[in-house]
Amino acid sequence: MEITREIFWNIGNVRILIYLLGLVPIIVLAFGLWRKIKLWKIGKKENRYDQIWKRIKTTLYYGILQVRTLEKKYPGIMHLLLFWGFVILFLGTLLIAFQEDVTLPFFNFNFFHGGFYLSYSFLLDLFGLLAIVGVLLALYRRIFLRPESLDNKSDDFFALYWFLVVLVTGYIVEGLRIAATKPDFERWSFAGWQLASWISFLNLSTDSLKTLHRINWWIHALLSFGFIGYLVYSKFLHIFSSPLSIYFRTFDPIGMIRPIPDLENQETFGVSKLEEFTWKDLLDTDACTKCGRCQDNCPAWQSSKPLSPKKVILDMKNHLVEKGGLLLQKKQLSPEKNLIGDVILEDELWACTTCGACMRVCPVLIEHIPKIVEMRRNLVLMQSRFPSEVSLFFKNLENNYNPWAIGFATRADWAKDLKVRLFSENKDIEYLYYVGCAGSFDERAKKISRALVNILNQTGVNFGILGTEEFCCGDHARRIGNEYLAQILIQQNIETFKKYNIKKVIVSCPHGYNIFKNEYPLSGYNLEVIHHSELIYDLIKKGKVSLGRTLDTPVTYHDSCYLGRYNEMYETPRRILKALCSDLKEMERSRYQGFCCGAGGGRMWMEEKLGVRINQMRVEQAQKTGAGIIATACPYCLTMLSDGIKEKEIKNLQAYDLAELVELSLHK
Amino acid sequence: MPGIWILAEHKEGKFKKITYELLSLGKKLKSKSGEELCALLLGSGIENLANQLGPYGADKVYYLEDEVYKSYLNESYTQGISELVKSQDPSILLAGATALGKDLFPRVAARLGTGLGTDCTSIDLDNNLLKITRPIYAGKVLMEATIPQTKPQMAMLRPNLIEISPVDSSKKAEVIKSKANPKKEDLRTMLKEILKGESKKIDLTEAKIIVSGGRGMKDKENFRILEELADAFGEGTAVGASRAAVDSGFAPHDIQVGQTGKVVNPTLYIACGISGSIQHLAGMSTSKYIVAINKDPEAPIFQKADYGIVGDLFQVVPLLTQEVKKLKSEG
Repeated sequence: MEITREIFWNIGNVRILIYLLGLVPIIVLAFGLWRKIKLWKIGKKENRYDQIWKRIKTTLYYGILQVRTLEKKYPGIMHLLLFWGFVILFLGTLLIAFQEDVTLPFFNFNFFHGGFYLSYSFLLDLFGLLAIVGVLLALYRRIFLRPESLDNKSDDFFALYWFLVVLVTGYIVEGLRIAATKPDFERWSFAGWQLASWISFLNLSTDSLKTLHRINWWIHALLSFGFIGYLVYSKFLHIFSSPLSIYFRTFDPIGMIRPIPDLENQETFGVSKLEEFTWKDLLDTDACTKCGRCQDNCPAWQSSKPLSPKKVILDMKNHLVEKGGLLLQKKQLSPEKNLIGDVILEDELWACTTCGACMRVCPVLIEHIPKIVEMRRNLVLMQSRFPSEVSLFFKNLENNYNPWAIGFATRADWAKDLKVRLFSENKDIEYLYYVGCAGSFDERAKKISRALVNILNQTGVNFGILGTEEFCCGDHARRIGNEYLAQILIQQNIETFKKYNIKKVIVSCPHGYNIFKNEYPLSGYNLEVIHHSELIYDLIKKGKVSLGRTLDTPVTYHDSCYLGRYNEMYETPRRILKALCSDLKEMERSRYQGFCCGAGGGRMWMEEKLGVRINQMRVEQAQKTGAGIIATACPYCLTMLSDGIKEKEIKNLQAYDLAELVELSLHK
Repeated sequence: MPGIWILAEHKEGKFKKITYELLSLGKKLKSKSGEELCALLLGSGIENLANQLGPYGADKVYYLEDEVYKSYLNESYTQGISELVKSQDPSILLAGATALGKDLFPRVAARLGTGLGTDCTSIDLDNNLLKITRPIYAGKVLMEATIPQTKPQMAMLRPNLIEISPVDSSKKAEVIKSKANPKKEDLRTMLKEILKGESKKIDLTEAKIIVSGGRGMKDKENFRILEELADAFGEGTAVGASRAAVDSGFAPHDIQVGQTGKVVNPTLYIACGISGSIQHLAGMSTSKYIVAINKDPEAPIFQKADYGIVGDLFQVVPLLTQEVKKLKSEG
């Protein structure tokens, strides 16, 4: 007996019918996709067509290897099983069609036999089973584990049951065929073989086996075709949209906000309408698979505030379906819905700390923060709507270039009794130490500046400050949405940098670090930016600083979002701490999953009226590690954590900046 | 018949101090130009108030009476004032740079198509033109200006800058009551009710003395001792709180002083149990005198304070209350 099987065995000559039947869902699918593309194109133009190789590589990495999806084990493995299971089954089916409709009729070439047939059968049986395991894992998760991140709507279950029926009927068809024909080599189709041996216990006649086979074959075929048509109208749209969102991803660092170009000649700012988003923003809304990882990691959502990144994206998606369809017909939604206010609430937008956790964990690389900041820009620059306390922050920045109402002339006063040189009085200075607003004015943060200056002086680093010529870096203003104010500050700083031809800057605040490194170049100034933890670590490596393990209490490190997720600097601060203490504890949420202190995105200057206070949650997380010191590398984190410790009256826990701990060790 | 007109501001049956200050300024201007000094009064059923302005220097009082003027509303006031100004054609029109003035006068000026000197620290007359002085760049520079092209000459004076000139109780002003005929159908807003905030005391931003409590107060109940101290100081004193105290639930948010609360500028600020984080300092560091009471001698508030008391506020504050009461009773 030849080792093969007859295609369309027991079904009869239905080839034409099957192709006609298959054409229907494919047309439905094509129409659906075409319509989706038209909806995305309602958005504004944006060039995401460059760097094709890099884009293909990133799509393979995140889309095919699914590196992000696998960061969470259970759902990651579950998804991988489903993905590869269906990919192999689909390719297998295509292969048969290829032989039957291309190689056989045109070249009289038949490869579906012998060793190839056996390994093919084995492989497809294996991957089909893996897919079934995937479906069962998914069902178990949705029915019994029920994580908060999942919505668990009825169509989620519908889709899974559909999968299950398609897969199981596939095996039954195979089992019935083997039971009826009994070729010995079909042992290689091990699952079908096993099923056939169970079926043979039923002692059915060959005719009844054939009838059952025919029924199951048609169910399997119709459901499979139906699935293709169902794709675009269900969550499975992500099979197409997610690879697209990955391919067209931004290569900007997480959370980077691009300046509004040619600000003075713009007539509108930010986004207040669906169609003012870019096409990629709209594509993102369809790429979302509702996995909920963003909201699991969102400090706003975790502290019971109205913002969930997932909800923002899905609300935008529903709005796109509702309004986008009408826009394509040149009609308006009636009654009109405001994007900000009706679709997305102002409270949601203001709750964002721009910590970047959502973007860092999103398996399909959705860009949440730029969308939120664009809407904030509209609120601030077009509608003058923002939390009332922020107006004082703006005013202070406008008048004195710092967030507090402190005269700019006193900006360098903290350094009066220290050995610090000014750029205005010295030439030959190598490094600019950009002190930042907190380091210049806040009593607590001044201790960081002083500690760092002592370290720099002891190790003979050639540095100076700008003194009263230094202005706020513009980070908070930009992220609150006041791009106009941000650009004024940025331009003024750039003019000063140019005046002194500054090439290297040491920063002790991650907000300045990030904006200098990632966003100043877009405003026309490139410079080497060094965070003080990098500098200290470098000094340790060069042997200029030798640290003793002077801290006899366990230490935990709080990742600043702007240093960690924004710039992927996780290890350098930890290496320094390991040199200082023998017991470095990790909080449950750390490194890329680090929990924000609550101050980012301008939240520092707003009241936290809704939900639980984020800084209090964070210090409680630190307390759980049993550490006596919570170390950080950001003055705003330090303020939030110190306040949290006081508010929760936590004894035996103190917050320090890295530089302070290092300086302490130098003195001992 | 040109004149020097001032807007008389009143609240709850009393004139605001700025009204007398404007009349005093008006007298000075009148001595230069010789034009008559008139007060402009809007309201309903306040004839008694209209009669009080003569002794302060008003020659005439234009009293616009109507039910709609009972409470201030930008639209109705603008309408009434600009109609009257158009018919009487005064050469000068002044108001206080108060919340009301800042809301109303820009609109009136726009309606009359004339210039407006805002937030002036001094106003003088030079060749029948107002010569105004006003701070710019957040008070770093004073600017002198005249607006020569337009009439009437309009300006707003900052309150609390001019000494009120002696009162001549024999002087009477002629009250010209004009039954205003406001076009109510043109008004798009209507005042229905004024809801008062939680704090019963005077507004923090208007207080001369503020007694403020921080996390060191430990409990909501303990704010009572601050209230007692404020009561001992008497009128013009208010109780404030730091963000830490508000967050801990010791005090309502509307008395929060600081970066995200109110910015205050009293003559005397007493900080009790407040460490003085920069967020708090941003709201009160321009107070004339700052007294800090704190257990921790290292607290940053002592760097800003003119007088510092290192000690337990629960001992210091009651003692302070006693002493203030004693001094007050001694007159």
